[in-house]
Amino acid sequence: MKKRAGDYLLAFIIILILNFLLPRLMPGDPVTAIYGDALVHMTPEMEAALAERYGLAGSTMDQFTTYLGNLARGDLGYSIYFRAPVSGVIAGALPWTLLLVGVSLASASLLGIIWGAEAGWRRACKFDSGSLLAALLLNGIPGFVLGILLLLFFGFYLQWFPLSGGTSPHLQNTGAAGAVDFLQHLFLPALTLTLTQLPRIFLLTRSTILGVKEKPYVLTARGKGLKERLVRYRHAVRGALPPVITRVGMSAGLLFTGVLFVEIVFAYPGLGHLFYTALQHHDYATVQGCLLLITVCVLAFNFLADLAGIKLDPRLKEDARQLLDRT
Amino acid sequence: MHVNYWTELKKDRKGRTGLYMIGFLLVVALGAAWIAPYDPWAHVASPLSPPSWKHPLGVNDVGQDILSELIYGARTTLLVSVIASAASTLLSLGMGVMAGLFRGVPERIVMRLVDVMLIIPVFLVALLVAAYVNPGAFTLILMLSLLMWAPGARIIRTQVLSLKWQGHFTAARQFGAGTGYLVRHHLVPELYPLLAVNFIQVVRRAVFMKAGLAFLGVFDPAQKSWGLMIHYAREFVFTGAWQWWLLPPAVAVSFTIIAFALVGYSLESALDPRLQKGSTG
Repeated sequence: MKKRAGDYLLAFIIILILNFLLPRLMPGDPVTAIYGDALVHMTPEMEAALAERYGLAGSTMDQFTTYLGNLARGDLGYSIYFRAPVSGVIAGALPWTLLLVGVSLASASLLGIIWGAEAGWRRACKFDSGSLLAALLLNGIPGFVLGILLLLFFGFYLQWFPLSGGTSPHLQNTGAAGAVDFLQHLFLPALTLTLTQLPRIFLLTRSTILGVKEKPYVLTARGKGLKERLVRYRHAVRGALPPVITRVGMSAGLLFTGVLFVEIVFAYPGLGHLFYTALQHHDYATVQGCLLLITVCVLAFNFLADLAGIKLDPRLKEDARQLLDRT
Repeated sequence: MHVNYWTELKKDRKGRTGLYMIGFLLVVALGAAWIAPYDPWAHVASPLSPPSWKHPLGVNDVGQDILSELIYGARTTLLVSVIASAASTLLSLGMGVMAGLFRGVPERIVMRLVDVMLIIPVFLVALLVAAYVNPGAFTLILMLSLLMWAPGARIIRTQVLSLKWQGHFTAARQFGAGTGYLVRHHLVPELYPLLAVNFIQVVRRAVFMKAGLAFLGVFDPAQKSWGLMIHYAREFVFTGAWQWWLLPPAVAVSFTIIAFALVGYSLESALDPRLQKGSTG
């Protein structure tokens, strides 16, 4: 366990160093790399103050300590595009991302586990091979392509759903009308993210069920005369669940990469959209802040999944990541 | 491990379909200069013209023929992902064999690195770097191969660990074969199937990552790329242009990923007896 925590710490440090080094490796000085476009409007005094505050001058070691100190105080720099501290801008976007991730992960897990269990149980029959092909095809469509297609069809062509944003502007968002508006905006992004995560969870569950369904305890359950549905869900699926949960959690990187694209396509006001807006306006302080926070989310998510996996299945104590070999 | 994976691949319908799809892409990519009706960089018609006999997919916002762009896009996509995957697979092989054969310090260092690399969200790191350097094909290949070797290295090490105590391996060692000879003549040939699966899977991921980065606009705009086409076409979604400008590259990206996924899946099931049709368990 100690080694595992050490891995996460090491990964975090590597990300931090990368974040620190990249703007400093760019041609020219880091002040230009991070605040390039805004420098035109700045007096030399402002520039010096900026360099001072964010440790963009002095020796590399001094710069790194200032960088870490600022991070520890939650100071991620100043956004030249939003004209506000990056941490504040990010704090406003984070709940939207977490909402989208939470809703989609829950629905994709539920659907994927049921679908995978049903298919794996009837292996090699029509339903199973059809599902397998469907999952492979769906898995081949990148999230941004799927999102654009859904947006064009349901939003643009049928006009059933709004085209962008998290809520309608110029609308008093109170009571039932506000809730409907909110859910309407959430539906397509959540659907896209669910569909991109679904095939992976399906394939994981299916292959785990294949390994479980001939196990003695399933035979025992059937021998007791339990109904088929109870054998399948209370015994087989339950036995197959811990590795599935761990592996889904361990692939948080894919989930958060997915949410990034989905938010960009639907202009959903979370971290991904914020990142994209910042990127287009060369607001590198915000770009860095967003990616750093998303990466921290991924690491935290992975770590929790690792811990949960051990709680659910003590056999994993040795090394949960051995399981990842097959994905 | 002694499966003739090429025969297995051709016998399986998914694998065969995937192979045909990849073959088609290869022909398009290699023959781009002959197939494409126009130079994709030349301004050949008035901007945003809809499809016509002269320009089957219309013309983009700067007057370039979209069909020709699409054809040249296949070239960039395959070039980047195939080379990146080959380099990354070689890196996996080197690291995996080193960690499997030499216990002790080299193994501990490599495996620690693998564990950490597996946690790091690869696409986000690629994006962070790309946001600054706006990579072209070469930089992208370098970046992707350095980021994607870890899962393969772990699998290869596991395989090396089990291979190195097998009879013929011990026999060769008893006859005085050196480590280099053993690796070249006994170890690597046994790893071919695994390397093939790894190569195909990494190509699939590389196609996705490249398309994703270009979709976000962080790719050298001078090179033709499906992701970049989608990126530009998205601004004209509210005209009718998306039908002939946005959909074709979107379909092309998905087609490519699905092609490699089908072959990858088929290879994997040929290698894993547990997944073979008709067997139980």
